[in-house]
Amino acid sequence: MIGLLNAPTARLLNALGLLAVSLVLIVAFVDQIAFGDIPCPLCILQRAGFAGASLGLALNVKFGPRPSHYAVVILSAFLGACISSRQILLHIVPGTGTYGDALMGLHFYTWAFIVYLAIILGSAAMLLFDGQFVREEEADAPASGSATSTAATFSLAMVALAALLALANGTSTVLECAGGLCPDDPTGYLLLQN
Amino acid sequence: MMSIPFFGILAAFLCVFSGQRGAALMLWALSMVGLAVLFRLHATDALNLVL
Repeated sequence: MIGLLNAPTARLLNALGLLAVSLVLIVAFVDQIAFGDIPCPLCILQRAGFAGASLGLALNVKFGPRPSHYAVVILSAFLGACISSRQILLHIVPGTGTYGDALMGLHFYTWAFIVYLAIILGSAAMLLFDGQFVREEEADAPASGSATSTAATFSLAMVALAALLALANGTSTVLECAGGLCPDDPTGYLLLQN
Repeated sequence: MMSIPFFGILAAFLCVFSGQRGAALMLWALSMVGLAVLFRLHATDALNLVL
């Protein structure tokens, strides 16, 4: 499918993907801070999977689309899906309870699994378009200046947002778990307790 | 220790900003190995179930 998708368009789509993944982490943060839903260890690890997928998207945005960058996205999402599926299996038997709040009828770990699958499928779909891997200087028609500038600014802002969310999650995890492993059943922030 | 994957990925983001693609990929790989090890340690956690 050469020619249907060029590198600048792929960069923009990856930036939009970054926005989507960042929104997932923001929703988790809102639930944590506004509703006091302390993330369990498996929940924290699922967030790290999203951060890893964000990095692959950021690599596509900054250095241009490459198959290896999509591999970063897919492998991170696969690892995250393994973790979320493990947590789903912990609760799959009726009557064995749940963890945390539900959002639109599904718990966060179930949503995480669905989003991970969407990330993997989306990345695989993007890999179908070979035209994005043609070096930009070899491409026929460069995009107009202002449109390119706006897209580049938006893309870099999304990379910065994703980096900020990695920092925020790291800081939150240190506050909750201090320097060691997180408690199996967290009830508060270890570093904020007297 | 649970924050290692996040700070590893944050360092990878900083490498992305500074144009060091190889270092970013290396830091990502190390972060994912750390994530897998932490998953192994927490895979059988007893959770605070809502019954």
